[in-house]
Amino acid sequence: MALVDPTASHLDPGMDGESGVLASVFGVLPNANCPKHGQNTPADTKRCLRKVMGHHRDYVKISLPDTKGNRLPMEWWKTAIAFFYAIFNLVLTTVVITVVHERVPEKESSPPLPDKFFDYIDRVKWAFTVTEINGMLLVGIWVIQWLFLRYKSIAGRRFFFLIGTLYLYRCVTMYITTLPVPGNHFTCAPKLYGDSHAKMQRVLTLISGGGLSITGSHLMCGDFLYSGHTVMLTLTYLFIKECELICLHSHPLNIDQLLVCILVAHEHYSVDVVVAYFITSRLFWWYHTMANVQVRC
Amino acid sequence: MKKVGQWSAEEVSHWLSEEGMQEYGDSLQQTDGPALLRLTPDDFLTPPLSLVSSDNGRQLLERLETLRIEHHIEEHQKNGHANGHGRLPNGTAKPLRNGSLGLNGFRKEMVHIPIPMSEAERSGFPQEWGKTGVAFLYAVCCFVTTTVVISVVHERVPAKEHTPPLPDKFFDIFDRVEWAFSICEINGMLLVSLLLLQWTLLKYRSIIIRRFFFIVGTLYLYRCVTMYITTLPVPGMHFQCSPKLFGNWEAQMRRIIKLIAGGGLSITGSHTMCGDYLYSGHTVILTLSYLFIKEYSPKRFWWYHWFCWTLSAVGIFCILLAHDHYTVDVVVAYFITTRLFWWYHTMANQQALKEKSQSNPFSRVWWFRLFQYFEENVKGIVPRNYQLPCSWRSSPWSLGVKYSRVDTQ
Repeated sequence: MALVDPTASHLDPGMDGESGVLASVFGVLPNANCPKHGQNTPADTKRCLRKVMGHHRDYVKISLPDTKGNRLPMEWWKTAIAFFYAIFNLVLTTVVITVVHERVPEKESSPPLPDKFFDYIDRVKWAFTVTEINGMLLVGIWVIQWLFLRYKSIAGRRFFFLIGTLYLYRCVTMYITTLPVPGNHFTCAPKLYGDSHAKMQRVLTLISGGGLSITGSHLMCGDFLYSGHTVMLTLTYLFIKECELICLHSHPLNIDQLLVCILVAHEHYSVDVVVAYFITSRLFWWYHTMANVQVRC
Repeated sequence: MKKVGQWSAEEVSHWLSEEGMQEYGDSLQQTDGPALLRLTPDDFLTPPLSLVSSDNGRQLLERLETLRIEHHIEEHQKNGHANGHGRLPNGTAKPLRNGSLGLNGFRKEMVHIPIPMSEAERSGFPQEWGKTGVAFLYAVCCFVTTTVVISVVHERVPAKEHTPPLPDKFFDIFDRVEWAFSICEINGMLLVSLLLLQWTLLKYRSIIIRRFFFIVGTLYLYRCVTMYITTLPVPGMHFQCSPKLFGNWEAQMRRIIKLIAGGGLSITGSHTMCGDYLYSGHTVILTLSYLFIKEYSPKRFWWYHWFCWTLSAVGIFCILLAHDHYTVDVVVAYFITTRLFWWYHTMANQQALKEKSQSNPFSRVWWFRLFQYFEENVKGIVPRNYQLPCSWRSSPWSLGVKYSRVDTQ
């Protein structure tokens, strides 16, 4: 086992690298007397150590690289891969929303499902706008915070990976079973029945608007299980809290209030929001636990 | 090697060079064993020792301390014999009470190290049936809550004429097969029986069944939440739901008890209620039994693992084939069962993850305190050891059977 500590700062700065290594390997303090000759000055100790090394020939020279050994390398190319992964999944989600829209049952034939939250709280029209504005605020705060981070590459990589995976899961759940619209206030765009050109245009509109209703890009229905808005809100909130640069107590609303706004607007079923919160928080915590703990088998 | 008290000057020199302190060799040339033991820090402040010592003799004095303690123990042992105190019990370092040797100063510095003697205490896997009892009660509570919630939700399921089944990709591709659900339930019962049989043969039964109760309880608790907050319509027109009871509590109670008694299975005729779709309890049981069977059986029984995997996969496929659950119910159930199982076991196997800390974000999960209570005394991965239940040991049939890794104690 190496006794050498490459980042040892207790070594006498007057000693050069080589004798510094020798000194720390053999437990000789920099100001200590040379075992054989009992000298006192560092220069004498160096000379003495060399003599000792020559005489006894049982000392081993271990040359060390100069770098401190970076434990958190930037590796921007990995971040780029994560970015492309996230982009791919976001585009895939948009395509799946367009496909699913064709399959949503009419609200006349398939009324909104019974939902406990909707039974207690009536719809408030402007609640969803509040959600989206807060969502954009949170994303803005996260971007600003990210710019100030030292390890931008690593944090960005994690964010892209998590958002990509969450949207991928969302594609699966949206596609396999289609829930009806949660409320009669929904105005869904007409179905296109095989008009691929128009569908492509819809996909592009959705991407350019960021999937937000406030930009008027999101006119399609069927993407209910699970809620993408919840994912975005929860994830940015968790990342902001994790990096802790800007104190979140100053933010007027906390995450629970934001999620409730989505429900108050009757824009998603309760189960959509609960499942989205659950899977986002667990994936975030689990990813970071695995990244932080060096597991010893 | 001779005792310190009998060392000659030569042996003292030899010891000094062995310890890497040959610089004292010259000055302590005439010192023999007892004189060595009598050295004090003051001796190092005056010549000749101050001239050779670079640390005021600290290193040498520390080594001497060890020698002195050994010498002291030897002296006590000798005296102990003489006074008929007998030998020291093995493993303990309790100093004898008589201080007749006049080395009282050392007695104060000696430390009593009690070493527990019993096997169970030293073992890293205590059974702790009390905690298993708590886990069992937790699972029972969750099951009963689920049954009550199913009964409540049944009242709110929209009529199938009013709300038709939701569009589902699997149902579009595969038509309904009537007998498929019975296959699913038979597979489920088989898997649970295999798990039970395997469990009786394991050595660390208590820990394993505790984990099973905790995970299954939590999964059913989550299921209560998702079932209750949003009610999905029936997945197929073939469903025969019992009539709604609208506030008739007595009839609802009877229904609940019937459901519990039948284990929630349709095959026993106990499950005639609708609405418990998100997410699928059958998938949970099928997946979880397979995961436990695979985790706690020998790795080389690959045929056994494949058999159970097939049972599980066919069972899950049959749920969908019977159009008894939406695809999303099954997918969500599979996902949450596997993740909870893996997270729990990863945390239980790593000591670092059992503590709440900044680098362990998963400790923020709501059941972390309960998890710590169950797993705090389990040190490391539970080994797959097998042990016949006690009453079988005296059975004549066990003589001819060969097991590996079977403990007889």
